[in-house]
Amino acid sequence: MTYQRLRVPRLAQLVLVIGGTYGGFWLIFDLWLGQPIPRSLMGMYMFFVVVGVLMVFTATEKSTGQLVGPIRALVEDPARRWLRNVVFTVVPALAALGVYLQMQPSDEPPLELRSIHPAPPSSVKIFGKRYDLMSLENPYRHLEKDDPEQFRELVAAGGEVYIRNCQYCHGDKLDGKGPYAQGLNPVPLNFQDIGTIAQLQESFLFWRIATGGPGLPKEATPWISSMPVWEDFLSEEQIWQVILYLYDYTGHRPRSWGHE
Amino acid sequence: MNVQQGSEMVNAARRRRPLRWRYRLARLPVWLMVLGATAGMPALAAGDADLGEEIYTQRCMLCHGEEGDGMGPAAERLNPPPRDFTMAQYKIRTTRVDEIAPADADLVRMIHDGMPGTAMPGWSDVLSDADIQDLTAFLKTLAGLEEEAPGQVIDYGTQVPVSPESIAQGRELFHEDDRCSECHGQAGKGDAVKKLKDDSGYRTWPRNLTKPWTFRGSNDPRDIFARITTGIAGTQMPSFDDPDSEGRLSIEQRWHLANYVNSLEKTEKVVRPENTVIRALRLPGAVPTEPDDPLWQQALPSTFMLVPQLIAGERFFTPANDTITIRAMYSEEEIGFHLEWDDRTRSIPGEEAAEKIADPGISEDRVAIQLPVALTAGAEKPYFLHGDSRHPVNLWFWRSGSAERPAGVSLVTARGIADRDTRDAAEAGLTGKGSYQDGSWQVVLRRPLMTADLSQDLEFHEGTFIPVAFSVWDGSNSESDSAHTLTTWYWLLLKPPPGNAPWLFAGLAFVLMLLGEVWWARTAQRRQRS
Repeated sequence: MTYQRLRVPRLAQLVLVIGGTYGGFWLIFDLWLGQPIPRSLMGMYMFFVVVGVLMVFTATEKSTGQLVGPIRALVEDPARRWLRNVVFTVVPALAALGVYLQMQPSDEPPLELRSIHPAPPSSVKIFGKRYDLMSLENPYRHLEKDDPEQFRELVAAGGEVYIRNCQYCHGDKLDGKGPYAQGLNPVPLNFQDIGTIAQLQESFLFWRIATGGPGLPKEATPWISSMPVWEDFLSEEQIWQVILYLYDYTGHRPRSWGHE
Repeated sequence: MNVQQGSEMVNAARRRRPLRWRYRLARLPVWLMVLGATAGMPALAAGDADLGEEIYTQRCMLCHGEEGDGMGPAAERLNPPPRDFTMAQYKIRTTRVDEIAPADADLVRMIHDGMPGTAMPGWSDVLSDADIQDLTAFLKTLAGLEEEAPGQVIDYGTQVPVSPESIAQGRELFHEDDRCSECHGQAGKGDAVKKLKDDSGYRTWPRNLTKPWTFRGSNDPRDIFARITTGIAGTQMPSFDDPDSEGRLSIEQRWHLANYVNSLEKTEKVVRPENTVIRALRLPGAVPTEPDDPLWQQALPSTFMLVPQLIAGERFFTPANDTITIRAMYSEEEIGFHLEWDDRTRSIPGEEAAEKIADPGISEDRVAIQLPVALTAGAEKPYFLHGDSRHPVNLWFWRSGSAERPAGVSLVTARGIADRDTRDAAEAGLTGKGSYQDGSWQVVLRRPLMTADLSQDLEFHEGTFIPVAFSVWDGSNSESDSAHTLTTWYWLLLKPPPGNAPWLFAGLAFVLMLLGEVWWARTAQRRQRS
């Protein structure tokens, strides 16, 4: 009996579950991680949460009754008329407030969707030559096994290329936090992150480095990357060397077609 | 294919609050060490220099060089250049002027936290405390200090807490006989009147004290006190605790000065990455023409980072200016931009005083507002570096003038940095005016909202997000043509007054819902009765 009396009403449970989910998202992403979920995405998540919770709460006739009961009682029970009038004023007032805020001119800039790893073309023209990106391989990669000493020299040469050209944006630590990173949009890639070069083949890097932001395919708009067109400043050899350095410093391995 | 949404906002938010407390937390061990050293404890367990050398080779050598002399392959492309460890000169230190060696904690701290405003990052996320101590031991061998006992830490005396009285006394000391203002300028912006060089002949600039986030060793009054006390080794920043100098200040005086310097911060010039929209303020009257009109202060400031042009043509690696602050206002006819940026030098070619302080090859200071010639449907924008062949941009230039020609505006349509047409600014209605004072330029550029030729210029309409970017040239820092600083695209919004519509629709929503409720209650009661 005591247990019965202490039970939280079904309606309150429903509100608590939905509110708790939303609050949880906010706590984890906004407060803890500092990476708020975009509003549109949050809207989608919460839609599914609300639908799911409603389905659970109305699964049986009894549970539906428990949920709807208090609402019906509020409207129909003459003894609760006073409370009903309050609720019936507050709810439209809240709705009106929502509409008012929604209609205010927005300061939110347009959302910019961006594809991180656009699909590469099958072949590209770089340094006046045509490269087949499907079969292109780093010409120095085999030295890792065949001539480790020469390989170390090439990595060191790649390091020099990196520090003279790339660290301003991608950072000394290859973490995408170079001294000018903050002034760029999109922010420079973090090569230490498992989601960047560790997911890619060396030929993809060669293409992205050599042709830069302006070389992005049409579907990769908005075309706003600040990545320079490195074929204008570096030689083919230097690009392959800097790629060796990126993998060597971060400890990642390039992806391959797996026929090794 | 991964899709990242709202990159600006998300990235911006990522850098906000959590970093700050994480950063503070991460610094805790360093502070404890500093505290330990101050209390005269056996400072730190000595690191292993051999292990430190391995770390050096892996992490530091590319900038600081194989010999530790700062001559790594990128040396000439970094400003300030990487530290030469063989000189045994440590700028940010807490040991007395007559001490040869810094405190170990000074070196540990620089490695741990990095140096804001330089290419030196903090390494605490990569190196453990033990690693950093090993590295410190190795760095001391580069300077021949391995046998040297750590220096004696300065006497902080009793800290004078920040108060209006202390700040006022500090201000007086700052300006008295031009003690500090000679180099740091009347407003503290480092607008020097003489050329400064460090011991190795490299040009240095006095710190802009209104931007404490560029202080290499933080703007905590305790840190500022240490800088004033020890001076900055190898530069013309003297020690104000030198027993042999007439300029020696008492401990209390140095605390007042530290409190004053700490008070100089200009918060509106902090870059807030989450702020990507310039909100233009609607005026009932005309847009002010004078840069120092107080009306401009009513518009919300937006400060953006200036990045050197590293992308195309002749690349530029050693900028002098770091941020630009924008305000915008509009009237019924006109839009006006107020651009403000700290520039230590007013560059007027042919003027004696300006030529004297400038690096050789002085040219005019310039600023440009970049706008697309036409807004494109969808999210596509012109290339942010002065447009591209399919998407031209207009550049509204203002230049500081020379001994031969007065300051003025010009209008350029660009399709990339190599393809430019100069147009008639007067015909497009572009006007502007600039003024320089105490290390800051303030420039106003104005144009009618509407245009006679939509194929050449865009119009400014309320409620539309318009891409906008900025470029700055410091003519005393050898900046001309493609050597300059710039911002990426941001947004301009002429925020319309909301009008009556929101009230109207809110009222409508209220009434409709109320009617629905009444109907619900009625039917429920009727059902009950029957």
